[in-house]
Amino acid sequence: MTLEREADVTVPEPDDAFRARLREFLTLHHPGRPPKDPRERLPWTKGWLATLFDHGYAGPSWPREFGGMELSFAHQMVYTEEMARARVPGPLGTGLNIAAPTIIKYGSQQQKERWLAPMLRGDLVWVQGYSEPEAGSDLPSLRTTARREGDEYVVNGQKVWTSHGADGDVIFALVRTGTRESRQKGISYLIIDAHAPGVQVRPLRDLTGGHLFAEIFFDDVRVPVADRVGDENDGWRLARTSLGHERAAGALLQAANYRRVLTELEELARERGQLTDPLVRDRFVDLEIRVRIIRFNAERTIGGILARGDAGAASSVSRLLITAFEQDIHEFAVDLLGPAGLLGKSAPQAVQRSRWLLGFLRTRASTIGAGTTEIQLNTVAEQVLGLPHDPGMPPR
Amino acid sequence: MSAGDSTELDELRQVVREFLRERSASSEVRRLMEAGESRDDAVWSLLSGQLGLTGIAVPERFGGAGYGPAELGIVLEEMGAALLVAPYFATVALAGQALTASGDEEAMARWLPGIADGSLTATLAVGEESGSWDLAEVAATAVPTGAAGDGWSVTGTKLFVIDGHTADLLLVVAQAPDGPGLFAVERGAAGLATARLDALDLTRALASVTLDGTPVVRLSVGRDSAGRDSAGRDSVGRDTADWLSAVTDLAVAALAAEQLGGAARCLDMAVGYAKVRQQFGRPIGSFQAIKHKCANLLLEVECGRSAVYHANEALADRQPDAALAAVLAYAYCSQAFTHAAKECIQIHGGIGYTWEHDAHLYLRRAKSSELLFGPPARQRTRLAELAGI
Repeated sequence: MTLEREADVTVPEPDDAFRARLREFLTLHHPGRPPKDPRERLPWTKGWLATLFDHGYAGPSWPREFGGMELSFAHQMVYTEEMARARVPGPLGTGLNIAAPTIIKYGSQQQKERWLAPMLRGDLVWVQGYSEPEAGSDLPSLRTTARREGDEYVVNGQKVWTSHGADGDVIFALVRTGTRESRQKGISYLIIDAHAPGVQVRPLRDLTGGHLFAEIFFDDVRVPVADRVGDENDGWRLARTSLGHERAAGALLQAANYRRVLTELEELARERGQLTDPLVRDRFVDLEIRVRIIRFNAERTIGGILARGDAGAASSVSRLLITAFEQDIHEFAVDLLGPAGLLGKSAPQAVQRSRWLLGFLRTRASTIGAGTTEIQLNTVAEQVLGLPHDPGMPPR
Repeated sequence: MSAGDSTELDELRQVVREFLRERSASSEVRRLMEAGESRDDAVWSLLSGQLGLTGIAVPERFGGAGYGPAELGIVLEEMGAALLVAPYFATVALAGQALTASGDEEAMARWLPGIADGSLTATLAVGEESGSWDLAEVAATAVPTGAAGDGWSVTGTKLFVIDGHTADLLLVVAQAPDGPGLFAVERGAAGLATARLDALDLTRALASVTLDGTPVVRLSVGRDSAGRDSAGRDSVGRDTADWLSAVTDLAVAALAAEQLGGAARCLDMAVGYAKVRQQFGRPIGSFQAIKHKCANLLLEVECGRSAVYHANEALADRQPDAALAAVLAYAYCSQAFTHAAKECIQIHGGIGYTWEHDAHLYLRRAKSSELLFGPPARQRTRLAELAGI
């Protein structure tokens, strides 16, 4: 048997010309620290996104034709690393990650020209209209209707859990164009002007007390048929598009982020003299193992993509791993602080502006949003392990 | 990219997997187990001769293929999946790597070629009552013998020695007057008594090894014949500690690879059964309760895989985090394998509780592997130290 060592495929080194160029650009144009006043943050972020776009540094995975960079996957990783390193703001809304891949793949040429560049430049913020009060995990049962009247749809219904909904200019929505019982077969992908008559956006106060999400109400909102992506009733298939392997880059970024968070928590425990407690140390060992495995998983996924174009099974479980980790680390931190962990940020005795307590509350959403843990486990079991679909549930 | 994922390693994996499918099926594992055999001679001869697997991690100048932890890990992963009954882990992963790490040219030249070609089986005996590989817990003593004072004899009892009752060569750690040292003794030596212990794992034997003034050969671990290291210091004990630390890293990473293979096989068995077992008129794998168990096991298997491949790559390349990566892989895979073995029994229900079903063989191997080098809490303590927590 012969074996030959294969040259390692790695992300290009820091001396790579692209990285150097990007770093120079980031140094020259860095937007500085975010403004204190929350009302100034939106225009500040938009300004930065426009700077990126105007200099050709927006949309690493996007086609050049629509203002993107069309980078190789290896260079996309470099891009992600450098952006994280520079601590500059990321895209606004969820359009770039969720709607753009669908539009790039299924939109008409005219739609692409009209929508993509302004989305990438941050001129218009795109937000998602998928979930409804009665359609969460069972999204195919959604009820917001779009009734055809000539060359327009008339949209009625309600969406909920729209991230950054209050800042939205454009809503990419799934609406029912088929019969009430048509499920996946009667859903269309519609792009709706958030400022159109009949659209009402209400901030939704979540359990943290904050307003990250919004509810959106549609009351006889008229939308041109030309603003439908893909065929009528083919929206479900379109909505499940993603631009390949962007998640892998995201996982690596999260691994680096949580490595930093865990180190900060260790420092806090050390300062408070708690690291000598064997029970505390063992909890840290557990988190240390997990945070490193999150990185190993991301690296293995990326290695697989670079070598074979295949993300493999590790990528399918990485989100489950990360969501459980972020809940556990925050709860452990709160426990570690004892009663001081209960203090809100305006209490003078609050530790680190109450970041751990806020994290404890905020990460309740981690195992719910973008697919609950339970639904994801079902998906992994069926799609990766090939276990049979529950015959009591509607077909996928 | 991670070791374990490359095309060449995939080819190695396929060859080993195919071989074990043919030559180490469940019926064969059970035949050897019931007979109390340590191996099938024909299978051992094929895997060492035709496939060259015993020489995979032995340096080329001693008749091996000169590969390292990454390649060895792939072989062990497959052997762990198949529960191969053979003294491979003890001979190749423990004794072979321990000899190579000793740097003792004479000892390597004497024994490594036999390990490489499969003619010699061997093991490493460190732990005693606690099973721990901590030198502080080694009580066996070595004393100089002979008129010239160049001979040695060892007295003491080693426990939990993997395949210790059948090994042709035993590498024994004992306390010499100048500090802990490494000693070699061949089967049949005077005052050497070995016995298989009645223990949980039925497909890999643990033995007690008693030495009573047994004549042994002292290995020079990382030092010259005058007992000095490269800097000229008399640092015998220190060298043995460094050697043992390096060997432990290699051993736990190798064991983690084997655990990964075992866990993956438990998941396969559970998923395979959940697809065909019908209750309430439908396959039990269509129930969420079963799906979620299986998906969670997949998560642990994939995390274990990432940890093992990273560790073996780090060890092969001598990366700064190699020791930590090795302990991490072992700590993680220990839990993952035992969890997978328990869930495999649970998902199989009644049939999984029978002697005839293989599920318990994996549970036995899993729990046993978890405790082989001492209580799991010690691994976690070492991990905390290495991570600076």
